[in-house]
Amino acid sequence: MTAALRAEWIKLGRSRFFFGTLAAVVSVATLGAVLTMLSVGRRDYDGVPVTAPAMSRPDGVMQGLEAVSILLGVVGLAVTAAVIGADYTQGTLRNQLMAQPHRLRLLAGKCLALVTFMMTMIAAATVVAAAASFAIAPIRGVDTAAWHSLAGLTEIGKGYLNVLASSLGYATLGLLAGVVFRSPAAAVSVAVAYALPLEMLVSRIFSPAESWLPARLMDALASGARGYRIAYEAAGLRILVFCAAAVAAALVLFARRDVTS
Amino acid sequence: MTAETPARPPRTRRGSRRQARTDLPRPPADAAIWSQGLTRCYGTRHSVDRIDIHVPMGALSGFVGPNGAGKTTTLRMLLGLIKPSAGHGFVLGHPIERPAEYLSRVGAMIEGPTFHPGLTGRANLRMLARLRRLGPERVAETLSMVGLASRADDRFASYSLGMKQRLGIAAALLPRPDLLVLDEPTNGLDPAGIREIRCLLKDLAGGRMTVFVSSHLLSEVEQICDHLVMIRDGRLLFQGHVTELLAAEDPRLVLTPEYSCDAARLAALLGDHGLRVDPPERSPDGSVSVHAPEGSAANLNRIAMSAGIALRALRACRPTLEETFLVATGGVDGDLIPRSRSSPDVPTESPDDPADLLTAGATASTSAGGNS
Repeated sequence: MTAALRAEWIKLGRSRFFFGTLAAVVSVATLGAVLTMLSVGRRDYDGVPVTAPAMSRPDGVMQGLEAVSILLGVVGLAVTAAVIGADYTQGTLRNQLMAQPHRLRLLAGKCLALVTFMMTMIAAATVVAAAASFAIAPIRGVDTAAWHSLAGLTEIGKGYLNVLASSLGYATLGLLAGVVFRSPAAAVSVAVAYALPLEMLVSRIFSPAESWLPARLMDALASGARGYRIAYEAAGLRILVFCAAAVAAALVLFARRDVTS
Repeated sequence: MTAETPARPPRTRRGSRRQARTDLPRPPADAAIWSQGLTRCYGTRHSVDRIDIHVPMGALSGFVGPNGAGKTTTLRMLLGLIKPSAGHGFVLGHPIERPAEYLSRVGAMIEGPTFHPGLTGRANLRMLARLRRLGPERVAETLSMVGLASRADDRFASYSLGMKQRLGIAAALLPRPDLLVLDEPTNGLDPAGIREIRCLLKDLAGGRMTVFVSSHLLSEVEQICDHLVMIRDGRLLFQGHVTELLAAEDPRLVLTPEYSCDAARLAALLGDHGLRVDPPERSPDGSVSVHAPEGSAANLNRIAMSAGIALRALRACRPTLEETFLVATGGVDGDLIPRSRSSPDVPTESPDDPADLLTAGATASTSAGGNS
């Protein structure tokens, strides 16, 4: 498995892919932090007033990152679906399976590599979002004293873990889509279409579904379930169940299906 | 020879796995690849239909058949990429249901060289080397073996087809395999590259490595392979030594009259003597091709002389592997007949199925090869 992890990192670590993804997540994180700080004194998307005192609390530093957690999740989903799907369409999976015929080990190694990749990307996004928030907060009259405190650092850590967990949840959807569709284009388009418009539509039409639909639960988890009907722990547990089922399905399909492409 | 072994259903029930292992047929000790009734169905279509293969250890074996014959499907089954619908297969003595037991000793390139286009040739090999827990020095070694060291740090996407082929062969050679399986290894190579690969394969086979090469370049197969497996429509047509296959076929004599305008008359004359003659228009140089053994050359010369036709040349011509292949696989009209049926005095006819000739001619070799 470690061999598969190290091998996969050769692919993930190539400069165009690595820095391209990094640029995407950093841009998204910066955008989130800047727009969140600039919205102080206005109302947010849901009509809730965004005030300087509220933003000055320890958790204010991560508001920007949490606001764009969906986009970061989509990056995780797209990267995973594209990497797994491309192995089929490019025919590279054949070579890999001949070098590592234990299919479950190979997929586990790939997944671990993608997890570490996402950890790196979300860490960069967290640092950049926090830095951008610190830079813009004084302009909008937000006091950053609490952000420097231990509570503030704890919130940064919690924010990182929440957004990472949410992104990994999205990535699991990408993994399943990649293995099912065996094509990056199909996997990314179907998975994104499901996670964004479809789930949003369903939850708008039938609001209780918000507490059960995987992508909605991931959004809840990313923001610490603030403003959601479901409790943080319940959301985490449900996501864990969904992800376990998705990973199990992906493993079974990967292990048992013929590799014909 | 065609495989007549009835296919056994695969044992898939968990409870009978132990019993299934004991029920497995035992491959001959000298077999690098061995199958019995190996079958793969897609719906109702049999892509591979009960084929029995025996590739001896250390052989440089060619695997030929027309497009859609089932070559790639067979290779995929042997490499554990797809599961057989029925039958058994063994690679290096291990059942193909458990590829992890033998793939560390197998190098393969099937369906062309497939690598990540954004990575360099070296990085692509490093990736596979890491999966096999091999060091970077082995990567450098194999790149040198295929003559790709100077372009190893260029992206795979920028490689020519020939360079991609070389990288594919390098990847197959990474694990120092006991069995090398290559699908069209000379595809896209220039003549010098083809010669290099030919020499490389001969060297590898000389070093006791078994090489199983699928190819459409039959002249290449004829030159480099000592053993042949030929399939059509998923069925085995022939397996054995190349020389045995060619020896089983219809020898010809080619007569070239001094004046090409005499070709038609000569053909008609020989036809009148009961000989089977290829239509003269098939030969642009005015030669006449007669299906007759080499020993009848003098008689044919006399027949021509008696009609006042002087011959400029008279030579024996044995069909090449390509001609044999095309006839056997239905690529051209059959003109293959058993040697015993060919004589200057007795008209001969093609068998109904050209494959019959091959199976008849190859019985001895396939029996010796261990097929049941």
